[in-house]
Amino acid sequence: MQKILLIGAGTMGMEHASSYNSMENVQLAGIVDIRKERAAQLTGQHDAKIFPTMEEALENLEQVDVIDICVPTFLHKEYVMKAADYGIDVICEKPLAYSLEDAKEMINYCDQKNVRLFVGHVVRFFPQYSKARELVLSGTIGDIGVVRTRRGGNFPAGWSDWYADNTKSGGIILDLIIHDFDFLRWTFGEVERVFAKGLTDRNIEHLDYALVTLVFKSGVIAHVEGTWAHQTFSSQFEFAGKSGIIEYDSLKEEPVLLSIRQPQEEEAGVPVPQSPLKKSPYQTELEHFLQCLRKDERPIVTAEDAYKAMEISAAAIHSLKTGLPVTLGSKGGEL
Amino acid sequence: MKIGIISFAHMHASSYASVLNEMDGITLAGIADDNEERGKEYSELFKTSYYQHYQELLETDIDAVIVTSENSLHHQHVIAAAKAGKHVLCEKPLATNMKDMEEMVSVCEQNQVLLGTAFPVRFNTPVQQAKKMIDQGKLGEILAIKGSNRGTNPGGWFVDKAKSGGGAVLDHTVHVVDLMRWFTSAEVAEVYAEIGSVYTNLPIDDCGIITMEFTNGMFATLDCSWSRNASYPTWGDVTLDIIGSKGNLKVDAFSQKVDLYSDRDGVKWIGWGDDMDAGLIEDFIASIKEGRSPLASGHSGLKAAEAALAAYQSFEKKIPVKL
Repeated sequence: MQKILLIGAGTMGMEHASSYNSMENVQLAGIVDIRKERAAQLTGQHDAKIFPTMEEALENLEQVDVIDICVPTFLHKEYVMKAADYGIDVICEKPLAYSLEDAKEMINYCDQKNVRLFVGHVVRFFPQYSKARELVLSGTIGDIGVVRTRRGGNFPAGWSDWYADNTKSGGIILDLIIHDFDFLRWTFGEVERVFAKGLTDRNIEHLDYALVTLVFKSGVIAHVEGTWAHQTFSSQFEFAGKSGIIEYDSLKEEPVLLSIRQPQEEEAGVPVPQSPLKKSPYQTELEHFLQCLRKDERPIVTAEDAYKAMEISAAAIHSLKTGLPVTLGSKGGEL
Repeated sequence: MKIGIISFAHMHASSYASVLNEMDGITLAGIADDNEERGKEYSELFKTSYYQHYQELLETDIDAVIVTSENSLHHQHVIAAAKAGKHVLCEKPLATNMKDMEEMVSVCEQNQVLLGTAFPVRFNTPVQQAKKMIDQGKLGEILAIKGSNRGTNPGGWFVDKAKSGGGAVLDHTVHVVDLMRWFTSAEVAEVYAEIGSVYTNLPIDDCGIITMEFTNGMFATLDCSWSRNASYPTWGDVTLDIIGSKGNLKVDAFSQKVDLYSDRDGVKWIGWGDDMDAGLIEDFIASIKEGRSPLASGHSGLKAAEAALAAYQSFEKKIPVKL
């Protein structure tokens, strides 16, 4: 039985808790959050214990095999380093850190302490994405000229509004479309050049939007859109190959759509489509990480991959600030 | 009113000729085409006179001409028409370099003839609805626009740089840049481009992402690629996703369609929206009658093509180009 200590009972903590609670031979043993009532909603069938700090949790719990860090980005480093000090393997939400320097330090520190570090780049575990990648790599649509991805919706509501503070979240380029950077790099290899425009520096309250162009060493051009300026979350991609096109739009996917008729005086709720799978992509991802720990295998996404995705974000943010394209591996692009 | 057409090299000529033949009080008075076979075929189809040399057509008593020749010939044909005192509607892109376009605009002015650029998408009904909403201020300040004008490799002279002046970037940047300028009344201030050649197997640009900054502070990108393959259910698209301080507006100019799944004809989107070419020609005719500029002037054509030409420069130098 692998025993998990979850740090942070926010949106991602909830996803992870419900994934662990659906697994066999895995026990969510503890949850660390100062918001006790929030954490209480996630305890599951094993009655995970709730603690205000990681230290208290580790003093009180008999066995912790993995510490899963789902706190805001600017707190990742503190918790990863502490977990490594305890010699416990770590799963950390993406992006790995707020700065490339911190990310490097975290990776090196975990190495030194002989602790494994997994980063939750969950898009690789979304079947629509991995399926599209397989199709592209198998040559179904020929050589690719242009790829387009889109991701976003509402401005995210986080604890103490941390997303609104660019010094804590890194804005949409570091927090959100790093998903697509990682997915595209997984599919097309290393990036050569990045050019970005966005609203991050405009400091418009609760609004962010970015359009980023990547050119891969292979010559593929990718257009990546990130939005916290829309009303409904959605994600889209399109691969345009020489002999075919692959399109996906989450808004067109409505396998189950519930609409409840409301009496006229009540405000009608917006029907939200669900796309049920036997296992959520989060569960698939976490089961994969736990299996890599049990069997000492290499994960589909490594900490080094997470770092490389951050490098693309850093280049995009640098491009946005300077108004110039950034070639990866050249100077500039520090986060 | 009598209208002539110079060259059927561009496939839009056919559509413009049909519109002219449908209009009351308008005569399609002649077609000039240096390709005799093509010229005679269309002259018969549209029941009008054929001229081998455009000069002969310009010597007749026509009031105006539509120029639908290869891009590299626009300059020559428009200048000749202006000097013959004929109003001109010129297919886009207006021409293949700045010097030619500046001369075309100024010679038309000097000869007091109207010069319009064929930007039919301004007459697409959903696009016009969007323009109205923006003019009413519904979006507030416009912060960003994501645009696309994807298409299919047109082949023929379009992929011969000597005749077209450029591939997808020149062909498919101008429509959407024109809409961006029209919607915002702002000018392109800076252009950056990543350009590729993947789809055509020919030494011509066939895909690209253009990034622009405008004088109103907004930024925009545009996918101008000929990236629609033969099995795709339609030829391409014109879309704009506009982000404003008060709200967003999504425009998909050709999404009024039914989906066809035919064993005989394959999978196709069949459009049922209004005919935008009719609006373009009607506006040109009205502008002559009213003595005003067409909705999209020669200057509009020049400004849109300027952005496309800057995109090539940017890609060559790998830096943003200021206009």
